[in-house]
Amino acid sequence: MMLLLRALSASLVILVVLVAPLAAQQRDRPDRRPPGVVPPNVPPLTLPVVHGDNEWLELRGRLGRPAFLQAQAKPTQQEEFTPVSELPPEEQLAAAPLLIGAYAFVLAVLFGYLVTVSRRLSAITRDINRLTAEMKTAGRG
Amino acid sequence: MPAWFTPAALVCGLLFAASPLVIATAPYESTMGLVQKIFYYHMPSAWMFLIASIVCGVSSVRFLATGDARHDRTAWAAAEMTVLFGLVTLVTGPLWARKAWGTWWVWDARITSSLVGWMIAWAYLILRKYGGAGSEKLAAGLALFGMANVPFIYISVNYWRTIHPATTVVPRLPVSMGFPLWYCVIAFLLLFVLLLKLRSRVAEQAARLDALYLALDEQRS
Repeated sequence: MMLLLRALSASLVILVVLVAPLAAQQRDRPDRRPPGVVPPNVPPLTLPVVHGDNEWLELRGRLGRPAFLQAQAKPTQQEEFTPVSELPPEEQLAAAPLLIGAYAFVLAVLFGYLVTVSRRLSAITRDINRLTAEMKTAGRG
Repeated sequence: MPAWFTPAALVCGLLFAASPLVIATAPYESTMGLVQKIFYYHMPSAWMFLIASIVCGVSSVRFLATGDARHDRTAWAAAEMTVLFGLVTLVTGPLWARKAWGTWWVWDARITSSLVGWMIAWAYLILRKYGGAGSEKLAAGLALFGMANVPFIYISVNYWRTIHPATTVVPRLPVSMGFPLWYCVIAFLLLFVLLLKLRSRVAEQAARLDALYLALDEQRS
């Protein structure tokens, strides 16, 4: 009698543990899921042969938490506030210096090149005028 | 200089002076925020970098085909534009990436091929400066490699795995972001044309100066 009761209770637990994730998978099928609902993280359902307590625990671990327990999970609570200055450097990097640096660099380089080319042109034009004058003088002499 | 040069230079100066105001009207991008506004100078300069490579390559082909020195001067000027706008692109990109990607540089296909194109333009200029007689034809051959690299740079983001934005970004821009971009593209294009003309003029005057030195030597001897 006790053996029968034990077998029945074990069957009931197995049924709940196996069917609940299966039901969750069925509920979250894309064709059944309402728009905007994110599916819970249910692992793929496998059916190993159960021989004893250890295997039972292993099976329980593989199946993950049942869907009715997942639905009750609360969002993590914030336990402390962290000032932005205490964040790692890559997370507290400000955008403004990079933006201003980029724009300043572009304008400085373009303006610098313009000035350089203008000075080169002025120097060559001056040399041309000087040589032309020299040639005229040499031609007269 | 041609008559249109001074008015065009004034318009270009005004466009650049007003560009920060136009860019300020663009909304913040949802994931990158403020730093994404580097895009409005980065992308036009990148396009000018590619256009300059193409102009350098096409002028070099024409020079090799006809032997006309005018095409050679245009190619030389365009090579300098390639270096100039390539420098702007390769510096503003990492400044943007540092915040958006968390790193200054990644060796993806787009950035690496852009660096290669930029170095080809440097090689062209070094060859012209130190290559001696006949270097203009060698440099023209080099410019062809620079031009062949351009389509590769452009399509690389669509075929290789990268975190660089795809080429579909620009056609899908909303008007609020598209207007500042095309405004800056016009400003950069006008600046490119003006600088190309100015640099070609320098090369033209330098050739005239060389001819004058030769004529003066003959006159003295």
